[in-house]
Amino acid sequence: MIKCLLYALSLCLLSIQVSYAQTRTISGKVSDLESGQGLPGVSIFIEGTTTGTITDVDGNYSITAATGNVLVYQSVGYIAQKITLGTESTLNVTLTTDTQQLNEVIVIGYGIQEKRSLTGNIAKVSGATIENTAVPTFEQAIQGRAAGVFVESQNGKLGQGIKIRVRGASSLSAGSEPLYVVDGIPITSQSQSSTSANTNPLADINFNDIESIEVLKDASAASIYGSRASNGVVLITTKKGKAGKTKLNINYFKGFSKETDRREFMNAEQYATYFREAAENAFALDPSFDYVSFNEGRLQRYGAGDPDWESNNVDTDWQDEVFRTGEVDQIDVNASGGNDKTRFYIAGQYMDQEGILIGNRFQRLSGRINLDHTINKRLTVGMNLSLSRTENDRLSNDNAFSTPIQIVALSPTTPVIDPRTGLLSGQLDNNTGLPNTNYPVYYNPLLGLENGFYKAVVFRNIGNLFASFNIIKDLVFRSEIGVDILSQTEEAYYGSATSRNTGTPNGFGSNYYTLVTNYNTNNFLTYTKILEKHTIEATGGMSYQQSNTDLNTVEGQNFVSDSYKTLFSAAQITAGTSRKTAFSFLSYFLRANYRFNEKYLISLSGRIDASSRFGKDNRYGFFPAASAGWVITEERFMENIKFLSFLKLRLSYGLTGNAEIDNFASRGLFGSSGYVGVPGQAPTQIENQNLKWETTAQTDIGLEFGLFNGRLTGELDYYIKKTSDLLLNVNIPGTTGFRTAIANVGKLENKGVEIVLNSQNFVGEFTWSTSLNLAHNKNEVTDLDGQQLGDNDLNRAIEGQPIGVFFGREFAGADPDNGDALYVRNITNADGSIDKSLTNDYNEAQNVVLGNPNPNWIGGITNTFSYKGFDLSIFFQGVFGNDIYNGGGQYMSASGSNGYDNQTLDQLRAWQNPGDITDVPEARLFFANGTNPSSRYLSKGSYVRLKTLTFGYNFPQSIVSKIKMEKLRIYFSAQNLLTFTDYEGWDPEVNADYQATNINQGVDFYSAPQAKTISFGVNLGF
Amino acid sequence: MKNINLMYLFAGLLILSSCDKRLDIEPAQSISPEEALSTSKGVQATLIGAYASMGDADVYGGRVYVAPDLLADNGDVTWSGTFQGLTQIFNKEIPIDNGFVEDTWLDSYEVINVANNVLSAIDVVIEADQERVEGEAKFIRGSIYFELIKLYAKTYQDGSPASNPGVPIVLEPTRGVTEGPARNTVEEVYTQIIADLTDAEGLLPESNGFFANKYAATAMLSRVYLMQGNYAAARDAADRVISSDEFELVDYYPDEFPYPGQVRVDNTSEDIYAQQVSDQNGTNSLNQFYASSADGGRGDIQIENQHLDLYEDDDERLDLFFNDDGSIRTGKFSNVFGNVKIIRLAEMYLTRAEANFRLGTSVGATALEDINTIRDRVGLDDLTALTLDDILKERYLELAFEGQFLHDIKRTQGSVGNLPWNSPKLVYPIPQRELIVNPNLVQNEGY
Repeated sequence: MIKCLLYALSLCLLSIQVSYAQTRTISGKVSDLESGQGLPGVSIFIEGTTTGTITDVDGNYSITAATGNVLVYQSVGYIAQKITLGTESTLNVTLTTDTQQLNEVIVIGYGIQEKRSLTGNIAKVSGATIENTAVPTFEQAIQGRAAGVFVESQNGKLGQGIKIRVRGASSLSAGSEPLYVVDGIPITSQSQSSTSANTNPLADINFNDIESIEVLKDASAASIYGSRASNGVVLITTKKGKAGKTKLNINYFKGFSKETDRREFMNAEQYATYFREAAENAFALDPSFDYVSFNEGRLQRYGAGDPDWESNNVDTDWQDEVFRTGEVDQIDVNASGGNDKTRFYIAGQYMDQEGILIGNRFQRLSGRINLDHTINKRLTVGMNLSLSRTENDRLSNDNAFSTPIQIVALSPTTPVIDPRTGLLSGQLDNNTGLPNTNYPVYYNPLLGLENGFYKAVVFRNIGNLFASFNIIKDLVFRSEIGVDILSQTEEAYYGSATSRNTGTPNGFGSNYYTLVTNYNTNNFLTYTKILEKHTIEATGGMSYQQSNTDLNTVEGQNFVSDSYKTLFSAAQITAGTSRKTAFSFLSYFLRANYRFNEKYLISLSGRIDASSRFGKDNRYGFFPAASAGWVITEERFMENIKFLSFLKLRLSYGLTGNAEIDNFASRGLFGSSGYVGVPGQAPTQIENQNLKWETTAQTDIGLEFGLFNGRLTGELDYYIKKTSDLLLNVNIPGTTGFRTAIANVGKLENKGVEIVLNSQNFVGEFTWSTSLNLAHNKNEVTDLDGQQLGDNDLNRAIEGQPIGVFFGREFAGADPDNGDALYVRNITNADGSIDKSLTNDYNEAQNVVLGNPNPNWIGGITNTFSYKGFDLSIFFQGVFGNDIYNGGGQYMSASGSNGYDNQTLDQLRAWQNPGDITDVPEARLFFANGTNPSSRYLSKGSYVRLKTLTFGYNFPQSIVSKIKMEKLRIYFSAQNLLTFTDYEGWDPEVNADYQATNINQGVDFYSAPQAKTISFGVNLGF
Repeated sequence: MKNINLMYLFAGLLILSSCDKRLDIEPAQSISPEEALSTSKGVQATLIGAYASMGDADVYGGRVYVAPDLLADNGDVTWSGTFQGLTQIFNKEIPIDNGFVEDTWLDSYEVINVANNVLSAIDVVIEADQERVEGEAKFIRGSIYFELIKLYAKTYQDGSPASNPGVPIVLEPTRGVTEGPARNTVEEVYTQIIADLTDAEGLLPESNGFFANKYAATAMLSRVYLMQGNYAAARDAADRVISSDEFELVDYYPDEFPYPGQVRVDNTSEDIYAQQVSDQNGTNSLNQFYASSADGGRGDIQIENQHLDLYEDDDERLDLFFNDDGSIRTGKFSNVFGNVKIIRLAEMYLTRAEANFRLGTSVGATALEDINTIRDRVGLDDLTALTLDDILKERYLELAFEGQFLHDIKRTQGSVGNLPWNSPKLVYPIPQRELIVNPNLVQNEGY
């Protein structure tokens, strides 16, 4: 028996021997099909063996092989070639750029993977696509570029909050923003603003340093980030140096910005006529008060008190006073290169962006060093370090009288400069020597803009050190230690001229200091083994993160004079406090991928997360995911379907969590509660030791395809995300002494479809390619334990409805008989039918679902053309099916019946005579005719934007090399050049900053429009 | 060699993974209930917290007085405010989701929970302070239950208190969410109130700064007994307060409501217990609704001539009323930082007088002497003969807008407009939100 085996074995050895006998050396050059340049680093191996080599810097190679062997030529970004070896000894090969980009390398959690073998859904945006976009932060630049990633700026103020929803909102009261990971380190991305309007800590990142952004969308991709992955994970990878010649790049651009649109308001004549009509109408209803002469008095008051104000022909367009042409300047310098031992990337940037609103400015100064060094074959070390300083001249919240846009409430009959004083209207009342308290209509925002400031300065240091150690062949240990230090000072000062707004006569100042230190370490092993047709990749390890926040605040008033602006000179310190808080996460993770013959793909992953935020009894959570892929085109039976070059089906299912709640939400707590100067304490929070994460179970089925040799590629995905154990503040019996407790109740789900198409329409000298992404998401709150949540005018969370649905009275226009505002009763009759009759009694009408702030579809389409040195890129982005509620409508579109705010032009349509059919009720001074929250102020919010248009010219190599340069490019770029929408407000991309939450969405409240920016730039490469 | 490397590696991983205890991060601005109540100082600080909670706008910040006075109004005032909740109360049409009804319920039980926390840890308090701390906590708990039972249940003398639903009695501190309790009977709640206040009277010192002293408990007890119609006990308790000589009527009636400007003021010699207000802590919700805008209020309640006509011409109590741009206002609450008078000496004279009169006794003094004490102070001539109506009218005017209208109408079986004293419309509903979260509760009649 043993003999037999030995014999068989020796036969095998013999046969190997035989095959060796026929080998010979093959050499040649691998080059790019288009450029003809030699390609370095192409891997060449004999199929079915581990024998292989790579090309040198010039693309030359040599390999020992035998006739009949299949040689595989493979390089990232190129279509692999297989050549069966004949008798030749020289074999020159050209590789075609892989338009499908299926061999593209994708960054995944704790590793990288080729796109073709991926079983999860990850959207990638390369840094090159968003380079030099004239916006403060990268999320704005990727808006519309990643399928299923909804990006919405709250308004056009620079550096302010941005809403990102990956495949819909998956929480009601916990965070809904994705987790951001920079070079493996989770960073601080939560707003540190001292006001309820968010700022954006991601704006501290110079996104020209970004190599790629990967958004992990499905459970298979994201669950390796466990308890913080329900909202998706955004992986940011910064640029690294490559061995070779040192490259020096200098980029500069200058741009000019205007608002995308304005809202139309009445002019002076329309305003005066309208309010006279409103006063007469009011008098007709209530003759007990002389509205007409009262109104004349007010018109005179707002006409700077001049009895003859009408003949002064003042007609102020207040929007002119706050909008301006903003200027943007940005310069980037970076150098990268290195050798076999050490690679580096060094970059610096200065960006200065002036807002389209006066007083708004965002500056960023940043530097980065990314370094890696190969100590020996087994050990590599390195660091990525960035330092930045951002300075944001902020504006007041959207709901503040002092925010610039609220200037539209002032009367067009009011002059900018009060002729009585020669100063800004409102600055001085000659009778009191103090600022006016009743002229103009409201506090004039220009006073604060000229006599105050609100500046946030952030120093940010994001960095990590890493070491990678090849323990044995195929097994690598990597350790990363990272820090993210965010040090922010917010300083504000408002001089005595602002007293009508601050309520303090001699100035108000504040200084808030915030320090967030965030430490993280990742330690993990990666094992890769290729055994002929079997590929195994496994990654496992641990991570620990701790984040500490320290806050100090001081406020003071009664300044010596307006010349003194720091709190040192405040006679009265009115508030001062210091606070701190912290959280930590301890995690263990494991992922195993198995591929058979590059045809069948399986991936399993799991993470165990523990957090200080959760109750002792539920501190550890387990988040597993499984996924599988089947590359159908690798099957024999597909061989004859020539037009189909690639087809992959993938399926994933897994659990992720959401832990974005207060740091100590599970605890029973006592806090300070003093009584007239005697310190005391009282219970502040009821204990819930069972508190745990929100859990999202997500199923994703996807199809990836390539047609016509990769000229047309695409991805189709369908997903269902079911979130349960929602962290909700639920009402509890008041007899406990508490009103609410945070508990895991409630469910919601998101279902959707994503479509990605990439097409090479023309190739050759003239190229035209198109890239399209579309995503549909349907959100539904499925269980709220019978509650209805919401705290603003109309946004609510209601069972069976999308999150934040607009719920309120249905407005039905003006009563044709008398001009009263009408509402649909919407009372459910005994037989279950709905009473659709109309009433002028707001209180009688019932609340109904009026609209949805969540879009049905979002998408983007990019067309790129190039011819010789010219390139043109046209990128449209769109949002469809959402509604917008104008929260300021009750003042600005109020039929002149709610104070003396200037009215939008549409109010001229007001009912005047019996029989008039109109949607604007009769103008009635002070009668609040239809000003309560209702569908009167709801509009369609869909829009399509020409988001980015770039036209550039690369000077030909012949010219460039003469002036000792590598690259010279000049370009013109436009951001938000055109916006197509039916929305009549300033801009349809809006969510009033002071009140934005998961539920409060799609509200416009004097919110600043987006900037339309045209810029000119130059790229120099040496 | 390779194996050694691996061992190092796993040892390293193990060390790193021992950071489990790093998950125990303690909050910096808050502490656990166990820690909070672990020391004598902590328990005493919690007692201070109970006073602070009691000063909430919806409790002794004044709304337990403003709202029932509006509910009891017979045309003496006009409500012109925009707070819908108070408009509904003033109109005697209270929906079950009325915000004021809800807030007073919730904030009252918040006070009770803080007091229960103190009492649960009373053994921790050093002996020298133990009795006082227990007495104060029981005064607070008993007083708040008394406010609740008056507002959310049938009055004591309406039908059978032994079977009428009262409010749930909770005597233990809350440490987690549990099923809500059912309503105890009116009788059980009164028994608890009397037990707490009697204990408090026995435990508290005669004087205790602006905190509750012995006579605060006695005076509150006299109010409780009067509400029950237990005149003898009410009389005796009132007499104990008066005869203690710890308190003295202020000479000039308006000085009982000091307004030296918008500043914190001390208790007067007449105040038995007053909820303290300063620019840092506490709130005076009476000021919010009664005071003119010039005095920091909303000017929502204006006084009608019908009320002024009740006074005799020389009555110094009239000095407090003033014309605010066409609206008559009371000056009792002009100081934003004025203390909220919970109980004061004048009421004890009126209670003793009424009880003596009803019982035909003259404990401490005759009813006539006590009424004349009140009249003398406001510059009115002595009466020579007395009827019950005289006593009740004197009480009405002396304590006007101090939160006693509704309860006096109920116990004397008067009426509010067309509504009789025992109309369900004069009882608050159990808040809707409470019924939803606590299925053991039953709603009041008429809602």
